[in-house]
Order: sequence, then structure tokens, then C-alpha cells
Amino acid sequence: MSLINYGYAVWAPLIWVLALVVIGVMVLIWRSRGQKGYKKETAQTDIFLSGAKVPSEEERHVKADNIYWGFFESLKELYDAMMKPHTGIVNDYLLWFVAVAVIAILVFFLAG
Amino acid sequence: MNLKNFNRALWVYHMNTGSCNGCDIEILAVLTPRYDVERFGIQLVGSPRHADVLLVTGPVARSMEDSVRRVYAQVPDPKVVMAVGNCGIEGDVFHEAYSLVGPIDQIIPVDVYVPGCPPRPEAIIYGVVMAWAKLERLAKQAKQEVA
Repeated sequence: MSLINYGYAVWAPLIWVLALVVIGVMVLIWRSRGQKGYKKETAQTDIFLSGAKVPSEEERHVKADNIYWGFFESLKELYDAMMKPHTGIVNDYLLWFVAVAVIAILVFFLAG
Repeated sequence: MNLKNFNRALWVYHMNTGSCNGCDIEILAVLTPRYDVERFGIQLVGSPRHADVLLVTGPVARSMEDSVRRVYAQVPDPKVVMAVGNCGIEGDVFHEAYSLVGPIDQIIPVDVYVPGCPPRPEAIIYGVVMAWAKLERLAKQAKQEVA
């Protein structure tokens, strides 16, 4: 058995695989002892939401960026202001580029 | 009582449909050390999908009607419904209220009635025993149908 000893810990892949198999078997045995009386395709197998109607799968999907909800909400004003110039049109971006370049050149020559 | 067909712990889902909380406090009293029904394997669960008994309190407010039907449908078979308290059984002081659609047996079938305002814990325990006996009969029927 390949066994790597770090001095403070031991890494043996076979022991991990064995442990996973044992846990898997225990889970399957536990699962097989569960309630079997559920009628499929009825409310008995529906999600329980405190008695409320369960929304469709699309409506109840929580997107990953929802964890930034508070962040977006607190910086809403900044995001609104920042998103306005971002039209997605190349001409607008070029105009911004030209405008900023002109201002930079003016500042460079007048102030310098 | 000899349980041969329904020989497992009894799990109960408690649903409040607009109760004043009087019955609900008595239900909690049933679980306190004085009565301690958990020693017999009777316990409250957090989902009707895990329950054998649906214990309903309150006179069923209009806004709760759909929820009651939905929760009842989510309890796996065999199932028994217990109505605890006068409000759920016949409306009691609220029986003429405009906002009610109860009593409970107008919405879902009820198997065990525990009257009182609120009923004493002993009465609730007796009701649970009746529910357990009914479950035993239902489980026996189900076994006979399969055989």
C-alpha cells in the first residue's frame, strides 16, 4: 500500500477508498430502511414549503450571484451610475476613449 | 394495545390553522417531563412528509385552507388526522366569523376529535392513542390488500 508519511499526518489513498466504500454501504443500508409508502407522482413526493404552493423550478432557482445581493443592494447607486455609460455599443466606447484622451492631453499640457 | 402492523414510533406533524395558541401550549405540555410522550416514541416532526399523524389546531382561517389541503396531501399513507380543540371541531367562539372556512372536517377528513378549550394533556394523549389504534387498523388493511 502506498503510504506517505508527513511526520504529522499520513496519506494513504487505499484507506480513503475503503472508508468511502464503508460509508457508502452504511448510507445505502440506512436509505433502504426508510419510508417506502410514498405514492409517486402525487403531492406526497412534493417539496414541503410550510404548506405554501411550491413555485416552478425556474422560479425557485437561486443563482450563484445571489450571494452578492447585499453587496449589489448597498452599492446600487454606484452600479446604476456605472452601468449607464456601458451601452455595449463600440462607437460609444470610442467616444469615451477620445473624450478621456483629450482631457488627459489638455491636463498634461496646461498643468505641466 | 397490541401493535402488530404499525409497530414503529409515531411521528406527528402539528399544524396551526389560526388557533389562539391555547391548544398548542397544551400540545407542548404533552412533551414536557411531566407527561413526556417521547418515551413512547411519540414525537413532533418538522415535515408532514415524515409524519404518520396530522395534528390540526385552530378553526381554519380562509388564508390557511389551501395550506391545510396541501399539507394533508403530503402526509404519506397510512395517515390519521387529529383535530385538537373546540375551534377545530366546531368553531367554538369563532363559529360565525367571516374569515373562517372551518371546522377542520369541512376541509379534510378527520379521524380523531379531542374537544376542549384547550383540552388537557391527558385528553391529547388519549387522542394520540386512538390515532395509533386507527393507524394499526389501516396498516393491517393495507397488508391484507397487498396479500
